[in-house]
Amino acid sequence: MPPVSPYRRARPAELNFEDLLRPQVEYLYRLAWRFTGSVADAEDLVQDVLLKLFPRTDEMLGIQRLRPWLARVLYHQYVDSVRKRARSPILELVVDADAEDDPMDKLPAAAESPEEHAERVGSRERILEALRQLNAEQRAVVAMHDVEGYSLEELETMLEAPLGTLKSRLHRARRRLRELLSMEPFSVRQRVNR
Amino acid sequence: MDCRDFRLQLDDYLDGRSDERPMREHLAACADCRGVHRHALAVQQSLRKLSPPEMHPAFADRAISRAIRPDAAEARPTRRAVLGMALAASLVLGVALGVYLSLREAPVQTVALALEKPETVRMVFSSAKPLQAATLSLALPENVEVVGYSGQRELSWQTDLREGQNLLQLPLIARGTVKDELLARLSYGASTKTFRVKIETNNLGRSGM
Repeated sequence: MPPVSPYRRARPAELNFEDLLRPQVEYLYRLAWRFTGSVADAEDLVQDVLLKLFPRTDEMLGIQRLRPWLARVLYHQYVDSVRKRARSPILELVVDADAEDDPMDKLPAAAESPEEHAERVGSRERILEALRQLNAEQRAVVAMHDVEGYSLEELETMLEAPLGTLKSRLHRARRRLRELLSMEPFSVRQRVNR
Repeated sequence: MDCRDFRLQLDDYLDGRSDERPMREHLAACADCRGVHRHALAVQQSLRKLSPPEMHPAFADRAISRAIRPDAAEARPTRRAVLGMALAASLVLGVALGVYLSLREAPVQTVALALEKPETVRMVFSSAKPLQAATLSLALPENVEVVGYSGQRELSWQTDLREGQNLLQLPLIARGTVKDELLARLSYGASTKTFRVKIETNNLGRSGM
């Protein structure tokens, strides 16, 4: 870890914190949204992380690759918050009504071409709903590996979990997503009215 | 390589962690596995394309200033309460209730349950502000149970409600004919608000549909 420069050490923590974190807030928000699937939850998660990090400003000054370190802090905060919420009968926050598409717009046609097949797999609401069926650790590993592009070896260090555990978590999550996003004759929404 | 081996190694193949040649050969020979592979790729592509809604332009300023001065931070802006919002697509059965401890009467919604068949009823509670340690009480009509709470007609939890929309998932099962109301009572401090959900049974469970 490189020494913190005397110049930065002498500055007020507020300035250092803002310099360090402002360029990272959007990244944290994006990752938090991928974990939670909700704008309100993502904002809450990032806010909670920033609150925890301000007292650690000096420590952050010495970190060379801040982004993966922040992703790790965000991940742990997310998993903790999900566990806390699991103890309450109020199970989850619904996505903001004005932030997501209306699932009624996504009903598939009766017969579909290969292009429509791909489009339906990609329907935003279907994917968000499938992601909601994964547990917190599975969602996080899919978001960090398959979307953000961290390798399993990087995640092994970042999340402090054995490679084999991460790999089986990822594979299980992907299998589940493939099942949930499989080409059913009817959409999930249509099955509601069976 | 057979189809079973191919599918076992599919995720390693997607990550470039398996011996590619036998996988490619099997793909060339097997239409079913080509379909499975195509679907796996489509799911991964769709995940990558799923972009978050744009971050609110004031969020970074607000979040940083709250982190630096948590005590001086102003209250979070109130999200508007939403009545009858669209629920997630996977609902087996759903009912949306608007709440925020106001004097406004909540509309009575009707839910149909099949006999002896668990159904998840989802209720959305929209709160204009975070409510710490609110009490949620349920009074169930005769012949209706919450799965896992057999024989209990009165249930109560203490819970935190977050600002915005909170989802209560309630797995219900009808043990006999029902035509009555479920009462969900939310109490916070001196305020109480009661929501009524009309429960009816139908014979879908008996017909095997």
